[in-house]
Amino acid sequence: MMITLLGKAISRSARCLWALEEAGVDYEHNPVDYTKGEAKTSDFMAINPGAKIPALIDGDVAMFESLAINLYVAQNYGKGGLWPDDAAGQAQCLQWTLFSATEAEPPGAARLVQFIFRTDETRSQEVLDDAAERSKAPLATLETVLQSQPYLAGDSFTVADLNVACSVEYLVRTDFDLSPWPQVQDWIERCMARPAFQAMTAIKEKEAA
Amino acid sequence: MIKIYGSLVSRATRNLWALEELDLDYEHVSLDWAKQKNRSPEYLKINPAGKVPTLTDGNATLSESLGINLYLAQKYGQGGLWPDDDAGRARCVQWSFWAGAELEPLAYGRIREFLFKKEAGRDQALITDMAERTGPLLNLMTLSLAEHTYLAGETFTLADLNVACVVEYLERSNFDFSNWPKVESWYTNTYGRAANQKIQDQRAPIAAEMMKRLQG
Ligand SMILES: N[C@@H](CCC(=O)N[C@@H](CS)C(=O)NCC(=O)O)C(=O)O
Ligand SMILES: N[C@@H](CCC(=O)N[C@@H](CS)C(=O)NCC(=O)O)C(=O)O
Repeated sequence: MMITLLGKAISRSARCLWALEEAGVDYEHNPVDYTKGEAKTSDFMAINPGAKIPALIDGDVAMFESLAINLYVAQNYGKGGLWPDDAAGQAQCLQWTLFSATEAEPPGAARLVQFIFRTDETRSQEVLDDAAERSKAPLATLETVLQSQPYLAGDSFTVADLNVACSVEYLVRTDFDLSPWPQVQDWIERCMARPAFQAMTAIKEKEAA
Repeated sequence: MIKIYGSLVSRATRNLWALEELDLDYEHVSLDWAKQKNRSPEYLKINPAGKVPTLTDGNATLSESLGINLYLAQKYGQGGLWPDDDAGRARCVQWSFWAGAELEPLAYGRIREFLFKKEAGRDQALITDMAERTGPLLNLMTLSLAEHTYLAGETFTLADLNVACVVEYLERSNFDFSNWPKVESWYTNTYGRAANQKIQDQRAPIAAEMMKRLQG
């Protein structure tokens, strides 16, 4: 029984590829391309009737929502690593994952959309500036925490870091100046230097080629 | 002892509901954010973002309302809020994020107009746009509820609790559910559970007070 991740790499599937690579499990990647209508097939919609990628199949389990998939992967295949052994660390992983979804991702994604789906001429500076403004509060929270510990759930890299880093990475990719938040900058560089992140980047590059 | 920080007119009600479902002993610390109690140095130590809710339980400290509920369900709700089967558990996680990432931005965007603005000042175009974008999400819930009574299967779980406390924003802002009868009856059932009723009864007078202040 093999895990299958559905969704082209250049999308929110990237964060799940990153998690699967971190966990070191065998998996298949089916690069369902939503821009070609492939998320609207009845097969795909049997897994996510919302017709969005990514989705994951693992035996009896079929699920969607990228960050939830990563928690699932961490809890089932990352014990002692992505998913810490102690209750306090586990609580932090849940907290930061939701923090990513509700606080960090919305402004980051708003900026990324402007960069990916717009040209230099049609890009809205107003939207970019507004999103930059809204990024400041979550970045300040991260900065405070990272001043006293190297990773979000403590001393080692966990799914908390992965799930927040994939939202902060949207800022990096949209030329956002992180220098007022030096701990965050250092942390995101450490996250993005990880071999599993590089492996995910390689999958994206291959897809783009 | 478990402590939950946040007033009855905040997202802490989501966690109070879960704590009641789990029948746990807890202490409720109602930080009044109108009085900036959430910005005190002691509170910022447990939640540097200065937001509520935050939960402490032994060594564990966490914020993020829907994340707190996942924690409580996993730790104390085995076989109940947190199902025994992998497929059910995966659905609980999935629906919790769906509630936070997909539904809450729309539902909260809508209720903000109702809470913080007087009728004449509300942005009707925004309200209409939000309502239109909410439709497909309720269609998705309808499909799931056509397959089973509750979102993760045949019994009430965390998936229902976490989604219902966001659907609440729609209900409180007079959203018209008539095109989604399955969602409406699921919501009535879920939201009306005794555990939540207990919290809502405590909340009602405080909320009425707040609305008087906000709407004048
Ligand atoms: N909250 C969801 C968002 C998923 C999402 O919006 N995926 C995009 C690609 S990154 C998609 O499939 N869009 C297709 C569409 O909206 O039609 C998650 O995190 O998985
Ligand atoms: N995503 C967070 C949002 C928390 C939040 O925004 N809480 C509000 C009250 S419901 C708050 O504390 N606001 C005070 C502030 O932002 O200063 C969660 O779900 O817990």
